[in-house]
Amino acid sequence: MGPSVLLSGVQVAAGDRVLLDVPRLRIEPGERVAIVGPNGAGKSTLLKLIGGLVQARQGHVGVLGRALGPGLAAADRRALRRDTGLLMQGLHLVPRLSARENVLIGALARLRGAHAVRSLFRWYPQDLVAEADAALAVLGLGDRGDTRADRLSGGERQKVALARLQLQQPRLLLADEPTSALDPAATQAVCHALSAVAAAPGRTLLTVVHDLELLPLLATRVIGMADGRVRFDRPLGEAAPALLQSLYQRQTAEAAPAAPSDSSPVIRFASA
Amino acid sequence: MTGLVQRPLPALARGWWPNGRAGFASLVAVYALLVALCLATLVAAGDLSFGRNPWDNLLKTVGDFARPSFLDAWFGPERLEYRSDDGTVLRVENRREVEASFLAAVARATWVTFQIATLGSLLAALMALPLAMLVARNLRAPRPLAWAAKGVLDVSRAVHTLVFGLILVGIVGLGPTAGVLAIALHSMGTYGKLFAESIESLDMAAVDAVRATGAGEAQVFFHGVWPSVLPQFVSHHLYVWEFNIRDSTILGLIGAGGLGLLISEAVSLFQWSRLATLLIVVVALVMAFDALSRRIREKLL
Repeated sequence: MGPSVLLSGVQVAAGDRVLLDVPRLRIEPGERVAIVGPNGAGKSTLLKLIGGLVQARQGHVGVLGRALGPGLAAADRRALRRDTGLLMQGLHLVPRLSARENVLIGALARLRGAHAVRSLFRWYPQDLVAEADAALAVLGLGDRGDTRADRLSGGERQKVALARLQLQQPRLLLADEPTSALDPAATQAVCHALSAVAAAPGRTLLTVVHDLELLPLLATRVIGMADGRVRFDRPLGEAAPALLQSLYQRQTAEAAPAAPSDSSPVIRFASA
Repeated sequence: MTGLVQRPLPALARGWWPNGRAGFASLVAVYALLVALCLATLVAAGDLSFGRNPWDNLLKTVGDFARPSFLDAWFGPERLEYRSDDGTVLRVENRREVEASFLAAVARATWVTFQIATLGSLLAALMALPLAMLVARNLRAPRPLAWAAKGVLDVSRAVHTLVFGLILVGIVGLGPTAGVLAIALHSMGTYGKLFAESIESLDMAAVDAVRATGAGEAQVFFHGVWPSVLPQFVSHHLYVWEFNIRDSTILGLIGAGGLGLLISEAVSLFQWSRLATLLIVVVALVMAFDALSRRIREKLL
């Protein structure tokens, strides 16, 4: 089996601004990788690029053995979507469906023949429904299966999205700050569930992490990014706290001189 | 994310029209001028007139309306004698029987009115659905098709039900069929606009999420789009249906059947008490359906 992700000479740009510039990146099946870095470092862009939501201006983007790009056939594109699990802010639950039905959406691409036709009427095989209920129960939402998604709290929605991933059984999981806006208890539950989904052999997990304390839960390899470039890429054990901090300090150092000159006129106005 | 992107301002704010408070004042001035112009031309043409004795007419009409004909079905005289000037009895009428049979006719006409509104609305909704899907920008139909569909909907909305009715009576003949088709053709425009708006207000982030699982296009539609828009469609359907019950009560005026036919009869024979009965039925029908549809629409949200 080839690499899960293989980038070479990739550039992503918005207008003249280069958002991402990655000469080479290779992620093997079964790896658990965290991407860290300050705001605007290109972490989410990298994830979206691999998820097929953003197009590269140049270079080769290989995901699960297929080359992304306009030339990708529709059937391949769909197969790739089925094998890539996304957990991102720009993706919502269907508000009027119940939590259970939202979870079952993850299994749609697995259905064949008569089951696929019946799924159009939201009629699912019994074993799948049981699987969905089990996935919800593991996340502590066993009693919320019939609740409409728009009546759930933010943390509960994130958990439902995770349960959906569990039914999708993707080979590559891309999670963009999966714990942002969650309380500590929910953060732990979501991290454990995410690791559980990625635990099956050959499954790759790629997570953008903001809270550095979560790194041991989610990753064995850390990629540090700043200004659209990869600054370091090493096993978690070799990523010393000082190295991680240096990513963020670079930015605060740049921003520091601007701060006093910005705020001083305001102070003068206030005292005048 | 992209919501804060600067869009070009609408033409009104950009060029020749003044901005802010002065702009609004000018708008009011133009409106006042228009109203003054309308009033002045109306007076100048001598058309601002309330007839010779409006108060007497008003009192007489109120008096006629105060005794709706349906009361006669229970309280009317059982032997009403029509006599000539010299006292010979021309005809004897049992008012109770006459008005009871009129009430039966009213009931049949009410049903026809309901028929026209119901079938017309359903037909309109079915015709509007594919057009709305072409018009809704977020479903990204090919541009020429979208423009064509928008054109059809605009024309259908611009032409009044009564005008469609007059044309259709000439084509399919007098009767409820013309009414059903007239309602359908006009409401199609209203439905199309409402349906397209509810499709456009769809949470595309949820649709994208369904597509991202690798689901097929039909699955994406029935899981991402349909559950969100169906309650809105049903709500719009009830709303327009409600409107059409009102509209179909006057379709009879042009020969398309229903209560309107009886109204035009009563007016041409100066039977104001029967007109009063008919108006009571119309108001009751519309109010009952309004209340029912409002209840259901509240439940759907």
